[in-house]
Amino acid sequence: MSIKLGFTKSIAFAVALLSLNMTVQAGAVYDYIKTNNELMIATDANWAPYSYINDAGEMEGFDVDVGREIAKRMGVEARFITPSWDIITSGNWNMRWDVSVGSMTPTETRSEVLNFPAVYYYTPAGFAVHIDSPVTTLAGLNGKNICTTAASTWEMYLEGSLDMIDAPAFTYKVTPGTITSLADGHTCLDDTRLGAGVRNDGIIDSIPMIQGAIEDGYPIRFLGDPAFFEPLSVATDKGNDDPELDAEIVRIIADMNKDYTLTMLSMKWFKNADGSSNDYTVAF
Amino acid sequence: MFVDTVIEDKSLHKPAFLLGLSIAVLAFFFTFNFTDTIFGEFLSPVIGNPEESGFFGRLVVSFVLAIIFVLNLLLISFAKLKIQILIVWIELFFLFLAFAYSFDLELAYIFIGEPSKIWLMISKGLFTTIYISAVSIAIATAIAIVGAIAKLSNNGFAYAIASFYTSLFRGLPLLLQIYLIYMGLPQLGFMIDAIPSGIAALSLCYGAYMTEIFRAGIQSIPKGQWEASRALGFKFGLILRKIILPQSIPIIVPPTGNQFIAMLKDSSLVSVLGIWELMFMAKKIGSKDFNNLEMLLTAAMIYWALTIILEIIQARIERKYQQKA
Amino acid sequence: MTMNTKSGNPVISLKGVSKWYGDFQALKDINLTINLKEKIVICGPSGSGKSTLIRCLNRLEAHQEGEIHVSGIELHETMKDVDIVRRDIGMVFQNFNLFPHLTVLENCMAGPNWVRGIDKDEAKERAVAMLKQVKIPEQADKYPDQLSGGQQQRVAIARSLCMQPKVMLFDEPTSALDPEMVSEVLDTMVELANSGMTMICVTHEMGFARQVADRIIFMADGEIVEQNTPDEFFNNPQSDRTKTFLDQILI
Repeated sequence: MSIKLGFTKSIAFAVALLSLNMTVQAGAVYDYIKTNNELMIATDANWAPYSYINDAGEMEGFDVDVGREIAKRMGVEARFITPSWDIITSGNWNMRWDVSVGSMTPTETRSEVLNFPAVYYYTPAGFAVHIDSPVTTLAGLNGKNICTTAASTWEMYLEGSLDMIDAPAFTYKVTPGTITSLADGHTCLDDTRLGAGVRNDGIIDSIPMIQGAIEDGYPIRFLGDPAFFEPLSVATDKGNDDPELDAEIVRIIADMNKDYTLTMLSMKWFKNADGSSNDYTVAF
Repeated sequence: MFVDTVIEDKSLHKPAFLLGLSIAVLAFFFTFNFTDTIFGEFLSPVIGNPEESGFFGRLVVSFVLAIIFVLNLLLISFAKLKIQILIVWIELFFLFLAFAYSFDLELAYIFIGEPSKIWLMISKGLFTTIYISAVSIAIATAIAIVGAIAKLSNNGFAYAIASFYTSLFRGLPLLLQIYLIYMGLPQLGFMIDAIPSGIAALSLCYGAYMTEIFRAGIQSIPKGQWEASRALGFKFGLILRKIILPQSIPIIVPPTGNQFIAMLKDSSLVSVLGIWELMFMAKKIGSKDFNNLEMLLTAAMIYWALTIILEIIQARIERKYQQKA
Repeated sequence: MTMNTKSGNPVISLKGVSKWYGDFQALKDINLTINLKEKIVICGPSGSGKSTLIRCLNRLEAHQEGEIHVSGIELHETMKDVDIVRRDIGMVFQNFNLFPHLTVLENCMAGPNWVRGIDKDEAKERAVAMLKQVKIPEQADKYPDQLSGGQQQRVAIARSLCMQPKVMLFDEPTSALDPEMVSEVLDTMVELANSGMTMICVTHEMGFARQVADRIIFMADGEIVEQNTPDEFFNNPQSDRTKTFLDQILI
């Protein structure tokens, strides 16, 4: 016997199939995590000291430790996946992964597609230039070519469109002439290394990241004070809204703050050149 | 290529040409001042401190380099063809190494650590690259056969679908296809992970190119083969399988080999989906220690080696079919 | 017109068959009956429709009007079992059309093995026998392009015979051959004729026609102009066109 569906019936059938896949009941993501005994965490693989591939070929860093701790407190295993940053920030994860623990700053724009249940630390962003650069003040970068990561808060800052949520107050101190946005912010550093004004006149990035580059012998120096402090949050997918998961994350981050786990992780990963450590769990 | 039986004098052995070449090479080396390179140091007994040698030093260095270059050419020109090819290959390879060396990189970085960085790339990245490419190539071949048959059929639906498919997937950048499949399909309710997305995009894109190759291969078989088969009462599928495709293979293999090689390298595009393949590892492993270029260079050499292996396999297959024909 | 046909057992019949290539009419109202064991030679100037006619008999070409019956089965465009008819009609082409990627033996085994469902051993036995019949058993393991043109055409004949056809069609089988190879192919065809095969040959080899044909058909401009026994055809041609043609071909 063959099944014959009329045109309208087939359409209705297809729509039913699709909606079956798309509508996820409240609590579904967290149930899924529990059932699979696995928290899938999206994070960057190129962001020392936050998250990067270590010498053994495994993920490591501040965000990775925070992610592991969250999974541990949920009572499940942590698994990291490393899509490119613009894919994470564009939302619609479709349960490919459950949370982003990747130092993401909550902004109005991002909150259209993502939820930001809990800020877990703050990090300063700052400018840096080649050591031979004639520029000595932040104002000196006005009208110059500044390089940064595409779809990042630093790019928004350069564009004057940084719409952070719950962030410490800040002012736009630099109005660049050209913004060079690269998919991998690391390439900016390599460009700066070539000399002042060769491919860019300066970069904006997170200060610990620039600090790492300087310690590794990059011929660059900080310029001025931190441009702004950004809150960094765990993110979940708005397309698969799950209040239960968000509530669980809020609880766990609060606990991690209370028992100083976050402080200890911050001190472990954010060290200065003189060996002293930074506690970035509070905004300056 | 057709080789004429009349051999002209080698232009390198004509004094006028040799002189002209020498002057041109001298001018080249003089223009791109090589005084402050290793060559200048080497000649310091003659020109003194390279940095202070000025016009004289520059002239001497470029003169010596030009002589070495032209002498080298001249000597090679007396060798047998195979020796010539070998020597030029080796020389170009060392030039490439010198080029890479001049980046002032910390090449030892590639080999330090336990496991070493290069082993990390091979063990974690290379396998994924080969796996993705191999699966995509297999699927693309299957698509290409079906697509070619559809394009050659007189069934309106089949032709329309196949030509729309080849037009679309040859018309979009591969990177865009990767994003469309990875981010677009889930919107339609088809959840698809990173690796399947990458494989789907590569298969569909290369399937479209290969459809055209297969179509041309099938079309190049004389009509008489179809007629003889039809006259014997063979059915369409049998004719295609037993008569037409076996004869098309020698025609299809060379361009298909090129597609395989191209796909192997294009598989690096799926790194945007966070798949830990060769390109991804190259970009990420070195970044922690700010040794990006070292790892990129390593990846370059691995891709190159893979390509050479594929080229050898392709040449073998071609030779096999040439012997049979 | 009186016809000296082998009476009574028609294997192929055409009734009012016409065919067009676009506006050009290649066949005009062809009526023809061919009996079992009959040997027909079709001749005529180039473009007269003779090749088209025999290619219609196994439906390598489609006719647009009229009826063609082969062994009682009508050929038409929606028939699904045209392959069954084709298996019973062997065809030899001007350009041999051997399968170049298969050996001589494999060429001969292909039909029986792949479409008649005969097992390999038996197909091989039959192929060897047929190659013996066309007098080239020693070439069995070579590939077609290692053979001369005459040898290739004989393999093509053997390949068709392996299907044990009721009728053999020859479409200018010697036109592509070097002159010294024509006779070896014709000899094979004569032997086949003597064995009692029903044969329809498009050819300009008038010696062959005289020797084996029961009937010679002369075509021009898509029409059958004249058909007769060889004696009558050569000695007493009816139409002026036939006379002109014979004058040109039998210098």
